[in-house]
Amino acid sequence: MAADNILTQQYLIKGWDFTRAGEASCDVKNTLKQIGISQDVIRRVAIASYEAEMNVVMYARKGKMKCEIDTIRIKITIEDEGPGIKDINLAMQEGFSTATPEMREMGFGAGMGLPNIKRNSDSFHISSVVGRGTKLEMLFHL
Amino acid sequence: MRKQFHSIRFIEEKCIGCVTCIRACPTKAIRVINGKARVNYERCIDCGECFRVCPHDAISSETTSYADVEKFDCTIALPSPVLYSQFGHDVMPNQILLALKKIGFDYVFDEAWDCELTTDALQEYLDQSEGPFPKISITCPVVVRLITMLYPNLVKNLVKLEIPRESAAKKFRQKASKSWEIPPEKIGVLHITPCPAKMISINHPVGLKQSNLDGAIAISDIYGRLLEALKDLEEDVILQLSSGIGIAWAISGGEIMGIRQENCLAVSGVQDVIRVLNDVEAGRLNDIVFLECLICPDGCIGGSLTVQNRHQARRKVRRLIKMFGEQTRVSREMVFRLYQEGYFCLQEEILPNPLPPLDSDPGKAIQKLKQRNEILKKLPGKNCSACGSPDCQTLAEDIVLGQASIDDCIFLTFKKFNQKV
Repeated sequence: MAADNILTQQYLIKGWDFTRAGEASCDVKNTLKQIGISQDVIRRVAIASYEAEMNVVMYARKGKMKCEIDTIRIKITIEDEGPGIKDINLAMQEGFSTATPEMREMGFGAGMGLPNIKRNSDSFHISSVVGRGTKLEMLFHL
Repeated sequence: MRKQFHSIRFIEEKCIGCVTCIRACPTKAIRVINGKARVNYERCIDCGECFRVCPHDAISSETTSYADVEKFDCTIALPSPVLYSQFGHDVMPNQILLALKKIGFDYVFDEAWDCELTTDALQEYLDQSEGPFPKISITCPVVVRLITMLYPNLVKNLVKLEIPRESAAKKFRQKASKSWEIPPEKIGVLHITPCPAKMISINHPVGLKQSNLDGAIAISDIYGRLLEALKDLEEDVILQLSSGIGIAWAISGGEIMGIRQENCLAVSGVQDVIRVLNDVEAGRLNDIVFLECLICPDGCIGGSLTVQNRHQARRKVRRLIKMFGEQTRVSREMVFRLYQEGYFCLQEEILPNPLPPLDSDPGKAIQKLKQRNEILKKLPGKNCSACGSPDCQTLAEDIVLGQASIDDCIFLTFKKFNQKV
């Protein structure tokens, strides 16, 4: 796809900024509604991008979310500067969570995060360097 | 499908184009064009925020006039439980029902009783429901419209139970017609309403073919008459059947008060409702079984056609709940039987009615959004609304759609002018 057919939206996400948490994924969702993307895709993007955004808010210092949309697919990339993930296989297991009791109190960290993102996207890729940060890529076919 | 009834009207002669309403509108449905506010009814959810904030009394709401009572051979009043909160500390629900009779309604029934029936039916519904969760209440017609338009994914979460004012109207019309031998169509069943939005659920019902109500009269319209009638009530019969469980429907949290499940949530006020619906859409509230959403602040007592300020009204409702108890007076067996018989069942499916995208061709819509982003970079980002659109992003969209010009931005025009000079 040529670059001029792609709509790119970028967002900065701040670690521990719980008051604005969820705004980036909400804007992505509203953009998809304006394009007329199917309801099922919107639902899956909303869930997956929210989870990914919240991971940055809860664990990282800061991060960037990039959303690229054309008429055949949606690609969302989230890159953060944070502690990274030591054992990605473990983090991908259903129910695994490192959320603190305070985060759980707020309703986060039910161990749904990464597996939930994977479940809701059509393709999913994760890479991480301990002490540096984590990069997530998810694709949704239209 | 998209054409809908609206209860909000703009009065052009009174409008000075001051932009107060366009900034208050949660769905960005209003613009000021040529000095007058114009509504894009396609985006309007009838929340009444514009009506509340207009400093020039230029927005009116359409409800049934009290004079219309004359049109029917026989009239039945079904007052919202909110009415009980509108009078002094010691005025009791039964007196208010008697006063309604005295001002001219032939029959007056305690709608709070039907709210109480619905509480038990809701309990049954939640016990049997298999999801998706949370189930979302359909009592507030504005919330239903908001969801069908802006959250079409959540339409399947809506509770499929008839709302109390509709089930009550159906029941009492049949009963009255039988007992008094009047043809059902000659009976006027009128809801006494705290908000204009009830008119949309009467004129444009969802979940049923046709409303069972003939209209809704504003509490503020008959308040003076009721005050007068309360002065010396002669008749003394018991009309109030409800306990605190039914009366509680007047306030936020009232629908969930009689529900056994602990993981229920009550939200009120348009911004908070939007926030919580975003959370539901992001999958954040899957552990909640039932979500009560009411668009007016503090629930129906915050309706724009009430008389008493909502804090006082809330205090009164609390007092009445204490007096009449949190123990339902409804028989569980009877509700269960009615439930099985389909008494509470919605007649029709509620369908999504999403807002149209920027273009019917997704490729073109993407191009339009790219253009919007380019225009947005040029705009000052002050969100002053002086251009007639609520904020810079919306102006950029309006320009792309050919409904506004970049010269509408006073900051850019001023800059241009200065450069010329």
